[in-house]
Amino acid sequence: MRRSLIILSGVLAVAGAVFAGSFFLSQRICVTRMTNPADNLDWLRQEFHLSDAEMARVRKLHDGYLPKCGEMCARIDAKKQTVKDWLAGGTNVTADAEKKVFELGELRAQCQLQMLRHFVEVSQAMPPEQGRRYLAQMQRLTLGFHEQVEESMSDHAGHAHGKN
Amino acid sequence: MKEPNSNPEDAKLGSLLRESRPSPSLPPRFYEGVWRRMERAEPGRTADSSGWLDALVVRVLRPKFATAVAVTLVLAGAVLGMQQGTQAARRGAQARYVAAVAPDAAR
Repeated sequence: MRRSLIILSGVLAVAGAVFAGSFFLSQRICVTRMTNPADNLDWLRQEFHLSDAEMARVRKLHDGYLPKCGEMCARIDAKKQTVKDWLAGGTNVTADAEKKVFELGELRAQCQLQMLRHFVEVSQAMPPEQGRRYLAQMQRLTLGFHEQVEESMSDHAGHAHGKN
Repeated sequence: MKEPNSNPEDAKLGSLLRESRPSPSLPPRFYEGVWRRMERAEPGRTADSSGWLDALVVRVLRPKFATAVAVTLVLAGAVLGMQQGTQAARRGAQARYVAAVAPDAAR
């Protein structure tokens, strides 16, 4: 009986190893074959089944948008640094520091609007149904970030805004 | 064939012998106790489970059965791995695109 149990345990271990090996190998092969790290637009082709012509239009829009996006990011970073400098060492928020915080918020809003306009343009370069799906996904993925932060803050103990 | 004992002396002797060896009265619930002890010991069952395990090992180690199980495991692992891999690749591609068009600073 003891011998049978040992053999059975060994068989089960080998079976587990065979399954796990096959699983991880095929997973790795799949990820390697499907991933193209050089192309950031790879997801659009996969997810929205775009033709070469549609991809070319989207790529043109994407390439046109990236410098504007980069410029906006640089402006936001510079403004963030200014706000940090104004707040550094202070014990209260001065009127000037308040102004800088508002300017930073305004820059972020401009950046978001530019981003949303780009998403609309890209969605229009796709077939209508795919375009609608793309726009909904991008709004969820990019604007949803704030919702998550706000939800986590309102759930936090002592941060139940609007509640007594 | 043995004839039935018809000797009256033998019958008398038999009854005398029975009387000389009186059977003691059994303690209460004696038979129930015996059965319980037999069930607790269960020598038959131990042999049965050992036999069942041995039979299973013999069956598992048969080349045909082992090959069939191995092929099934490899196929199941490959199918599940491909599903997981496809999802992981899609998530990675999506994350790269979102990071390119919507950097953290803008969100």
